[in-house]
Amino acid sequence: MATEVLQQDAQAPARAATLYHIENPEVENKAERFLNAFAAVLHFTDYKALLDSYCASSAKCGRCVASCQVYQVSRDPRDIPCYRSNLLLDVYRRHFTVGGWLKAHIGGGWSLTDALVDEMADIFYRCTACRRCTLECPLGIDHGLITRLGRYILSMAGIAPKALQVSVREQLEGETRNTSKLPEPALVDTLEFLAEEMAESLGVKLEFPLDQPDRDYGFFCAVSDYLMEPDTLMGNAAVLYAAGDWDRWTIGSRNFDAINYGLFYSDWHLERIIKRLVGEAKRLRAGTLLIGECGHASRSACQFVPVFAGQDELPVKSFIEYTLECIEDERIHLDPDIVTEKVTYHDPCNIARSGWIVEQPRRILRSFVKDFVEMTPHGRTNYCCGGGGGLVSMDETHEWRMKVAGRVKAEQIRATEAEIVVAPCANCKKQLKELVDYHELPCRVMGLHDLVLRAIDIPGGKSARQRQDEAALAATA
Amino acid sequence: MEHWLELARGPLFAFTFLVMGLGLARHVLLQVHGLVTRKGQRLRQAPWRRIASSTLSWAVPVGHLDRSTLVMTTASFLFHIGAVVVPVFLAAHVALWSGFLGVSLPALGEGAADLLTALTIVCVLVLVAYRLMTPRARALTRASDYGVLGLVLVPFLSGFLAAHPTLNPLPWSWMMLLHILSAELLLLAIPFTKLAHVVLFPFDRLSEVHWQLRPGAGDRVAAALYGEEAHV
Repeated sequence: MATEVLQQDAQAPARAATLYHIENPEVENKAERFLNAFAAVLHFTDYKALLDSYCASSAKCGRCVASCQVYQVSRDPRDIPCYRSNLLLDVYRRHFTVGGWLKAHIGGGWSLTDALVDEMADIFYRCTACRRCTLECPLGIDHGLITRLGRYILSMAGIAPKALQVSVREQLEGETRNTSKLPEPALVDTLEFLAEEMAESLGVKLEFPLDQPDRDYGFFCAVSDYLMEPDTLMGNAAVLYAAGDWDRWTIGSRNFDAINYGLFYSDWHLERIIKRLVGEAKRLRAGTLLIGECGHASRSACQFVPVFAGQDELPVKSFIEYTLECIEDERIHLDPDIVTEKVTYHDPCNIARSGWIVEQPRRILRSFVKDFVEMTPHGRTNYCCGGGGGLVSMDETHEWRMKVAGRVKAEQIRATEAEIVVAPCANCKKQLKELVDYHELPCRVMGLHDLVLRAIDIPGGKSARQRQDEAALAATA
Repeated sequence: MEHWLELARGPLFAFTFLVMGLGLARHVLLQVHGLVTRKGQRLRQAPWRRIASSTLSWAVPVGHLDRSTLVMTTASFLFHIGAVVVPVFLAAHVALWSGFLGVSLPALGEGAADLLTALTIVCVLVLVAYRLMTPRARALTRASDYGVLGLVLVPFLSGFLAAHPTLNPLPWSWMMLLHILSAELLLLAIPFTKLAHVVLFPFDRLSEVHWQLRPGAGDRVAAALYGEEAHV
């Protein structure tokens, strides 16, 4: 019935406007291309067993709506996670199972049309891929995985959001090999600038390690950190320096971008980007991949390096885990009297939903933040910022992210009355900053290490108290 | 009439039970085969402990109750208890199992059986009402979803009436025949409808295993569609 409703809907042209721009909107024979791509995916991947199981047992109970922050605001049946999954399951049932074939030929059933492919493209990108609904499905149906599979098939049929596609193309096939098109000389300039900043503010002379072989840690962050989040990067660097690990890490000049949009829409891109990451670590003979503050980059590396790296597999560590170790081993000291504001913490879905990184950042924050307040709910059952699944990179979705997908998060933040929202994720930070502006929330958004940078004592350099006094003096002067 | 009852209780039951068993075995074998041949070594990398704990958290879903789904979840939970316990442990069924499969199971007391059966019937009606009355469930519900609830309702209702002559509007043997035939229709339907979740639910919960993607598959899909020199 879901499909029948859609078929009727698709004939009403005034209804939904596609939320994002695909690169080549004039793609012809979309239904045929979609089915060809679907067939190829089924042939070469392992999804078939899961689709069979879901198709034969999905109960369509509707429990998932209670967990979906998009549906809670839009109240649009098309935003029910199970409804969305059943769009793809219906195509699978109809075109790739004997039962579906028989039904279509005996009962005069439906076939996939171009309009239905358009509808799927629209609906699959009205999901932030936060996977909160999966926790609420009694059968454990992973609507995030099915939505992602739908996006993957669409992308192999030539239908993918331009913003993601252009970035991945530059990362995999462009000259700069990163999603922001940051050329290597610009990276070197940025690192010099950061070193000067740190010399001035922290009172230590240092040089960022670039292409140093045989180090314990190969450091990869979202490339946007180099462009827009200097405090996050300096926070990372300050921890490495204060912990005495300055000679143990390196950045790689040939690949310094941990962003992996493949996680959001394509197995093909996901694997190639992981292999690039591992390849650079191998070139530098780094011991461990150390991933900067970024939800999806951390998850894709942690989850997919073991899957795709083969013999080149190496350990993956999130920078949050590293910083907590440094605190617990008493290798760094964070001054508990510096941060006096009320602070709350936003769990990025990609690291929190599985329960992987939930307690670690809280232990870090509680070690030096006096006034820490939780959002409700938080941790594994957190609400997404509203920009997950790659949507935050698509400017066309801005209004929808503000009014619909991010509404629940905005209310949640407002209810905490926090002055600082900490979000250790490049995507979440961008979305949350936009939400704060749009909903006029009385708070600031920053990364975890931005706050660590404020409170960290630098051995041989300035203490956090010293820096605070200097800043106060400068302000009065 | 007695002949018909004997036929329904004997060979027809054996046949439907066999079809159900084979149909469900097919589901399980296909799943296991798919996992073992396709996933192989990657099965070891899956977070089995997390899969187990999330599965167990649904055995008694007290951790999953919230206001908007309270009625539906409670009805569904209680329904599942009745739907499993009554068909297996009702005294008359226990006698049937012992004659048919040679196993002797403990039997439910009459009062407990009545209570559970009535509860199951009420729960089915609540679930029907839920599908009819909440917009979100209506958007998801197809005719087959009502059909499945009906398939479950009839054997429970007819069994209850057959056991309570004062409430039963039909002759006992007719009601019993209706009970047996509707139960057999339900058994037949299990492998071919969403009721297959009776064996597939553990496989539905394996999405973390399916996130262990197949190395090299992305390249092969791209090459098959766009040639070896495929570009992003």
